[in-house]
Parts: sequence; C-alpha cells; structure tokens
Amino acid sequence: MTSATARKMNIPRAHKNRTVGDWTIMVLLIIGGLIMLFPFIVLLLNAFKTTADYNASGPLAWPHEFSLDGLVKFWTRVNYPEKLWNSIWTSGLVAIFAVILSMFNAFALGIGRVKGRRWIVLLIMLANMLPQEAMLYPLYIMFKEIGLYNSPWAIVIIFTVIQSAFGTYLLSSVYGTFPKAILEAATIDGASRWTIFKDIVFPISKPTLSVMLVFFFIWTWNEYMIPMAFLIDNSTQTIPIAVSSLTGDRLMDVTTTAAASLISIVPTLIFYLIFQRTLSRGITSGAVK
Amino acid sequence: MKATRKFVAAALAVATMIGMAGCGGGETAQEENPTSIKIWHYEEDNGAQGKAWAKAMEIFEKETGVKVEFEKKSFEQIRQNASQILNSDEAPDVMEYNKGNATAGLLASQGLLSNLNDYVSKYNWDKKVSGSLADTGKYNEQGIMGSGDWYGITNYGEDIVMYYNKDMFDKYGIEIPTTMDELEDAMQKFVDAGVTPLSEGVAEYPLQHLWWQLVLQKASDKFLKAYEMYDGDVDWQGEATTYATKTIKDWVDKGYISKDSTGLKAEDAGQNFIKGSYPMFFSGTWWFGRFQSDMADTNWTFSLFPESKKVVGSSGNIWVIPENSKRKDLAAKFIDITLSEEVQNLMGNSGGLPIAADPDKITDEKTKELITSFNGVLKDNALGFYPDWPTSTFYDELNSSLQELVNGTSDVKTVLGQMEDNYNKGVEAAGVKQQ
Repeated sequence: MTSATARKMNIPRAHKNRTVGDWTIMVLLIIGGLIMLFPFIVLLLNAFKTTADYNASGPLAWPHEFSLDGLVKFWTRVNYPEKLWNSIWTSGLVAIFAVILSMFNAFALGIGRVKGRRWIVLLIMLANMLPQEAMLYPLYIMFKEIGLYNSPWAIVIIFTVIQSAFGTYLLSSVYGTFPKAILEAATIDGASRWTIFKDIVFPISKPTLSVMLVFFFIWTWNEYMIPMAFLIDNSTQTIPIAVSSLTGDRLMDVTTTAAASLISIVPTLIFYLIFQRTLSRGITSGAVK
Repeated sequence: MKATRKFVAAALAVATMIGMAGCGGGETAQEENPTSIKIWHYEEDNGAQGKAWAKAMEIFEKETGVKVEFEKKSFEQIRQNASQILNSDEAPDVMEYNKGNATAGLLASQGLLSNLNDYVSKYNWDKKVSGSLADTGKYNEQGIMGSGDWYGITNYGEDIVMYYNKDMFDKYGIEIPTTMDELEDAMQKFVDAGVTPLSEGVAEYPLQHLWWQLVLQKASDKFLKAYEMYDGDVDWQGEATTYATKTIKDWVDKGYISKDSTGLKAEDAGQNFIKGSYPMFFSGTWWFGRFQSDMADTNWTFSLFPESKKVVGSSGNIWVIPENSKRKDLAAKFIDITLSEEVQNLMGNSGGLPIAADPDKITDEKTKELITSFNGVLKDNALGFYPDWPTSTFYDELNSSLQELVNGTSDVKTVLGQMEDNYNKGVEAAGVKQQ
C-alpha cells in the first residue's frame, strides 16, 4: 500500500526534474516523429496545389494558392463514392467475419485445448506467413473455378481467412491464460459451452476483439495486390486500386495523386478515431473482478 | 493431417489440370448478332489517345448500332494481371496492351491473343502500319517481335526528341544546335555560364534513352538485330556501346549532366525542364502535350537528336483481341475505326502522334511539325526501339549501371561488362535466343 502511494507521488516529481537523458530521448522522439510525419506533410503540401504551381516550385514549396483541382479530378474520374463504399463494404465485412472466426478458433484452441493445437495454429499461420505472391495463382484458379473471380466476395473470403489466421494466433494465446477459476465456477453453475463462450469469454475479451477489429479493417483497407488481381471491373474496385490508376506508363500527375492519397487515408483515420474511444471504454467495462 | 495433405494434393492436381485445359488453343465460339462490345484501355481521358479513342467508340456505335461498354483500366493492373484476366471469362473483346516481347509477345505465345492475319488482309492494315511500326505487332511462336503472325495493331507512335528552352538559349546568346559538334559546343557555353545544360533523371528512363540514342548513332543494323531480336551475338565491347557509354561519362565529367541526377525520376527531370532550371531535355513525345499546356508562356522548341540516322522510339501501344473474345469481328471493326482519318486527325489535333493522319488537317503549327518530323522518321524506317526491350529486367539493370557511371563508382569498362552480364543472363533466362 505505502509503496504504491510512494510510486504514485514520484510521478509528478519526475516531471519536474528531467535529466539530460530525458531531454535527449525527447529530442530524438520529436525528430523521429517529424521523420514519420514528413511524407504526410509532403502529401498535404501537394494535394492542394495547382499543377502549374507544382511545375514552377516543386514538391517542397508552400502552395501559392489553395486549389481543390486535384481532389475534384480524382473524385470524378474514379467515381470516389463508389470506391469508398466498396472499400468500406469489403474491409467492414472482413473485420467482422475475421473477428468472429478468430474467436471461435481461439475458443477451441485456447480454452478447449484440443489435441495438437500447436500444429493447428502453425497450419493456420501459414496463411499469414506465405507471401501473397505465392498464393496469388492458386487462389486465382480456385476462385475462377467457383465463379467468384471478379467478385468482391472473393476479397472478403480471402482476407477473412488471412486476417483470422493472425487473429486466431493472437487470441488463442490470450485465451490460453484465461483464469481457470472463472470457467470452473461457470461449469459448476451449470453453464453450457455456448453460454461460457457467449456470456463469459466474449465480454471479457472485448478489448482485445476491438483492437483486432480496428487492425483488420485498416489492414484490409490498405491491401493492394490481391484486390487488384481479383477485382477486374472498375465498379468493384477499392480505393488503393483507384489511386494506383492515376499513374500511367510514362507520366504521372503528382498533384492529383497526392490529393487522392490524402482522401484515401481519411476514412481509415476517422474509423480509427471512432474505435479508439470504444476501445478504451471496452477496457474499463470488461475487467475481471 | 494425412487427410488434409491428401486433400491438398488432390486439389492441386485438379487445379493444374483445369489450368492447363484453360490454356489450350482452339477457336472460341462467336456470338451471333451481339448487342454490345467490351473495350478497355488505360490512357488518360483528356490525353490525345483518350480523346481519339473516345471518338472511335462514338463512330463505332453509330456505324454498327452495337453498344460500347468501355472501362478505363489502370496501367498497373493490366501490366500485372493481363494473363489471368485474358484466361478468364472476364476478358474484354478488344483492349490496349503494351507492345514488346515480355508483354504482348508472351501472351501471344501462350495462345491468349487472337491471330489477326485475316483481319489485316481484310482491312489492309499493313498499308498504314508498316516498316518498323509493324515490328511491334508481329510475334513469332516464341513471342519474339519483328516477324511471324500479327497479334496487335498500333495506331500511334512515339519517339524521343531533344526539347530546347529557346528563352534560355536566347538569354545566353546560344544557337539551337543542329550538329553533334554544335550540341557539345552549346552545352559547353551553358556550363561556362554556370548552367547545367541537360535535364536528366537516372533513376528512370531519361538517361537510358539518351544512352540508347548515342548507341544508335554508331550502331549497325546487324548490331540492332542482334540486340533487339536476338539474331546473333551482341558486341558489347564494340564501337557503338563503348562510344555511348564513354560520351555519357565525358558529359558528366564536363558538367553537361549533373551528378545529382542519379536519384531523379523522369517526373523530376521533366519538371526541372518545365521550370526552366535546365535548357535541354531529351525525352519522349509523350511530354509534348504537357509542355504545350504547362509551358505556354515559355518559348520552347524541339528537334530530333543531331545527326541521327536512327531515333529512339517505336509504335505506341497496340490493340489486341483476346482469344476468349466472342465478338472478334466487331473488335476488328473497332480497330479499323481507330485507324480512320477522322480519328487519326483528332489525335493529331489533341497533341498526339498519329500514324495515319493528314498533316494538312492539323491546325496547331507545333503539332504539325511534330507529326511531320515523325512521318520523316517512319519514311526512313528509322525507329530504333528501346534499350530495355530484350529482357524483362533490363530496364532496372540498365538504370543502375548508368547510375554507377554517373556518380563515378564504376568506369566505362566495368559498366559495359555489367550491362553485358545482365543482358546475357536475361536473354538466357527467357530462353529466346535463336541458335
């Protein structure tokens, strides 16, 4: 008790006496942060420039006038709302399905402790460990034969499997350390496996699940190679493919590409910010007492 | 586990069989009285090709009463996935595709493209697409261009010219050069005045096009045939390549080309020319439209490389008809319309480089000059193609060799040796060398 209070009191004091080491670390962190932000700053600078302005002053100069040309051009050329909906639809479904699938898998592997679970996890992880290039051709043949080539469902299925592979791996180790006392108490009270899953394991693991949901959504959103190989019709394509369509054989339109990249990350940013809140709420509500 | 393995093995076997069956040749049954046709290309809507082809689609709909289902594709998607798409039911009826051995040649040899010989004789396309323009449409059984059957038809061209910023030349009192000596003289005068004359980007295509132009200055037809069509051995230590590599080294040493250009891309080099940082830029006619709109206030001009017998350049991309198309006759009709005078003239008037336009119908003076200059090149059969065509990896390898040359890490001999190694390895890996 006393040691805990002492530690608590130490925290404000530490703020006042920053050592040279603290300062160095802080400066390094700020530099690191700026380096990370640099591409984003360049993007912002060029997204609102006119082509003439870009030609005259280059990528690093401040824009002379605020122009929405690039944004408008990209918006109308690729029919942005349609692509946005496609991306939300695929990433959303993948995130939800993959979380559900990972939960079922992990329940069996982590809590059910089925035989040979190590090998099963390894096998599932193959989906994640194999480079996507290696899977491309087999997947192409599979989906062509079942008639899902050029269908957004192909993307949903493929990425549900790929993301849930990682999800299963993560969740089954989380569930592996699940307090046995709770499970035993529930069994004694006569709870079925389904009840345990639904009323005990699910609520308690909510924080982990929402983190997974956010990651799966963003990862799927940014996927490029497999969606590009599978989504042939323009009307089914996702945002990253639409952005890439701006780069031609020999020429590129820098300002439009910058504007396009900018509005293509805005939805993920919004999504992240929304779920960041529910995420912290989830942590406080699901604590074990 | 065992069961899974068996299942996987079975699935793989089935997949392979299906895949092989899908690759087989044989005529695709043609649809009777089709009501629509699927057309793809990947050019900008407001570019010369985009505008001209939109017009072609309009004419096509009017003439045939068949609806055009057009989709603008991304270059990257077609480049990476063409073979998968063409091997499925999603293939379009006619599409734009990249010319060359590694692209159209490969698909032709895999049986994914229709043989167009009958259509060529029916529509007399070989009258309009002839000489070195035709080389990129014909591929032999191994997929090597230049001979064999017709698989693609181009309707525009491209070559590499020297762009000059006339305002800068006037400012320093320098004449636009017409001979090689004058060119070097002019560059020296710019250096003396503290200006780097040549805008370059070694990270992408600009410098390798200059290098190839210098090779072409000295190259014999035999060398070219060996280099581009694998007909005989390429003499890498011979006069042409040595001259080109030495000249570039020389120009770097004299300050005509900046050492800092090793990290620059084509876009940077073009932009530096537009900005007026450099008075000269040696690059493709694909910049022409952009310079016209973005350098409207600058007095600029262009010409072929001084004293050139052959010029870097080739036909534009080609229209191909996938083997899986069920409306081939209509597709051929569409290709024919893209070669019609109306469409060709529109392309010319939009800043493009048509191959069958009437120069008298071109209103813009500068464009007229461009088309006349290109027609001259065609007449002399002087298209020298591109240096990166022979192997699929040579583009990047050539750039990195030239980067080493420009920043001084390797000398001429080492660079030539490196190029030779990469070239030979690539050709061997492709298995296309004629014995």
